Amino acid sequence: MGRLFAVEIVYRGIFQKNLAKNISRGIALAAKHDGKVGISFGRYGDSPERNGIPAKNFAIVATDDETLQEGMAKYEPKEVDISISVDDTLCKGVESWAWYGLQPINRLLKPGGTLIVTTMHGADPIITMCHRKEFPYRLALLTSIPSFSGLWVYKDDHTDVRLLGAIAKVLPDLFSLTSVEKAIREEWHDELKVKSAQKAYERISTRVVSPAEGNPEKPYEFELPKWYELREGLAIPSIPAGKAMADPTTQQTGGFRPDRNPTFKKYATRTMRPVVDFDTCVKCTLCWLQCPDSCFDVTPDAYYDANMEACCGCGVCEAVCPVTNCITMVNETAFADNASQWEMWKKDKAGYQTWLQEKIQHKPERSHGFRIRGQYEQQIGTMVKDGIVDTGTSGAGG
Amino acid sequence: MDAIETLPIQQLDAFKGVKKVPLEEYFTSGHRTCQGCESALVMKLMVKAAGPRTIVLGSTGCMYVANTTYYSTSWVVPWMHTQLGSSGSAGLGTAAALKALMRKGKMKEEPINVIAFCGDGGGADMGLSAISATLTHPQYNVLILLYDNESYANTDIQLSGMTPYGAHTTFSPPGKAKRLMHTRWKKNMAGMLAAGHPETKYVGTVCASYAVDMMNRVRKALMIGGPTFVHSLDPCPKGWDYDPMLSHELGELAVETGIWPLYEVENRVLKLYGRSKGIAEKRSKRKPVRDYLLRQGRFAHFTDDDIDYFQAKIDDMWEKWLIPGVIPFWKELEKDQPPA
Repeated sequence: MGRLFAVEIVYRGIFQKNLAKNISRGIALAAKHDGKVGISFGRYGDSPERNGIPAKNFAIVATDDETLQEGMAKYEPKEVDISISVDDTLCKGVESWAWYGLQPINRLLKPGGTLIVTTMHGADPIITMCHRKEFPYRLALLTSIPSFSGLWVYKDDHTDVRLLGAIAKVLPDLFSLTSVEKAIREEWHDELKVKSAQKAYERISTRVVSPAEGNPEKPYEFELPKWYELREGLAIPSIPAGKAMADPTTQQTGGFRPDRNPTFKKYATRTMRPVVDFDTCVKCTLCWLQCPDSCFDVTPDAYYDANMEACCGCGVCEAVCPVTNCITMVNETAFADNASQWEMWKKDKAGYQTWLQEKIQHKPERSHGFRIRGQYEQQIGTMVKDGIVDTGTSGAGG
Repeated sequence: MDAIETLPIQQLDAFKGVKKVPLEEYFTSGHRTCQGCESALVMKLMVKAAGPRTIVLGSTGCMYVANTTYYSTSWVVPWMHTQLGSSGSAGLGTAAALKALMRKGKMKEEPINVIAFCGDGGGADMGLSAISATLTHPQYNVLILLYDNESYANTDIQLSGMTPYGAHTTFSPPGKAKRLMHTRWKKNMAGMLAAGHPETKYVGTVCASYAVDMMNRVRKALMIGGPTFVHSLDPCPKGWDYDPMLSHELGELAVETGIWPLYEVENRVLKLYGRSKGIAEKRSKRKPVRDYLLRQGRFAHFTDDDIDYFQAKIDDMWEKWLIPGVIPFWKELEKDQPPA
């Protein structure tokens, strides 16, 4: 038997669909130049994808046909040599279409496997977000603003080829940098992309993460009835109507908190969250009324508190809010829990202001998809100038 | 001839302002829709307007698949799935069943709203005949709500009869040899149903960016009696390819550019409302369609000629149509000149 390699790419649905496809396809092509055989495929259960909801692509590579066939006989890999998280907020856990409950980003990693994350952060904040693993694994960081675009217009910021270069460094047994270069020339006919892959190969750094490091929480999970245990007519219970809320300081009750689907929370979809300045809120109702996810709880004193178990971070509330800087979308990496902002504000208004001012410094450097024609070109130009991406067109970045 | 007998109807008066909207939700959190999904917002506002004594039926589409994955739901009110093309039949059948059960004394007589929703694929393409048939049955109270995101969005954006001219979909990728793969014009659903079903008491168009206006149209349609139809335009971040944060703004732009006219035909009387009324009466100026088109990746391949042609077609709709924004009959023949 030959050797079998598996790589998974965990990505944000739709936003990174084309990116993930380019990476897994690139892996199979580079492996071919290394004398191996490979295949790239999307996870069936993740389709149809939805914007932001985590999804997966896999690349399976083997040293010979027979080993590849054996590897492909499984529905999907049970363990992988490399997990790639193309958005750092996915490190908080993955709740996809295909299963119920939250799964750690490093769940499928083999002992000694490598998690590659594209991020602007250093190792410590990333490790804090990842759930603990029972054995040591390696973490490799690719400095990059997580690349987000949409179905039709691709933001070609070279994240795809930079990851191929990074893989050649962390797992040279899979393929060499030379094979990556050949694959890029064959697939994209672009010398700048070759250069980007080489630079990523040179710069990628790894460190070992020990079992004592990371988020100690147990990810939530659900036990659902089997199909043969369902009620007559396949009827399932509807959601209860919801009830009034209690004020933590005055014990006054009022307002309304809707009951929510208990088995899908959706917050693993979030890459940024709204932070509300209750001191400037004029109670216009628009954030609450226009929220497609009904995530706002109405408090007894008629404020609107975005419930962080339900918010998926679309940003519509910030867009409709008529008060300047009352709602600010903040990078999800700046938060460690889903606590109620309104309760925090009720208990200590001055302390909340300090907290809020600190948090809104973490405005997303990420972009959330297509806003206007020409925007991606401009963003990539800025990234080259700032030394985040070095396509070889400028001297910056070193 | 006997008078047409319908069941009693709930009293659903218009909300007089946003502060009068009830706090209760009947479609709640935890659905697997996209970030910024305007159709999920339409579901939420639709049942908020209808209230707790409502049965909702949904034909296949995003609002079925994403909202009710295995053993999981976001609905507070009773909801049932129906096949892709059968929102009209399911709505009519449910209304007829309620009437029969109440007549036979098997169910307490009370007014219950029946709403059947469908997407643009399920409603304007496959389910058109069933909706049309339902609208000819005056004795049953049922609202059919079409949530139109202008493609088969659930199965990854295949073009539908409601996809606008030139848009990029899975079936119409722009190429080097041929820039525009989709050159058909969107169906005029609400206008068609209003003109074609003269006895239907209510047909209206809505946009959830104007939430109170939208809920009040749903309330009117439920309260007027008999079968009714509401058509909602829903910006779709996935298929239209834009930052989900822009959902609300794109809905407004669709109305402000005149691409999406807001109107209602209530007891045979046509009224344009909101911004569309101002546009029709020439009190407010239409924004250029360019502002709307260039914010969406699905039109990113448009040349200036394509944008000008799109603009000219919208200009025609407001200046040449016999009933501007509603009925596309012309008074005289003119030549259509699409871009090369």
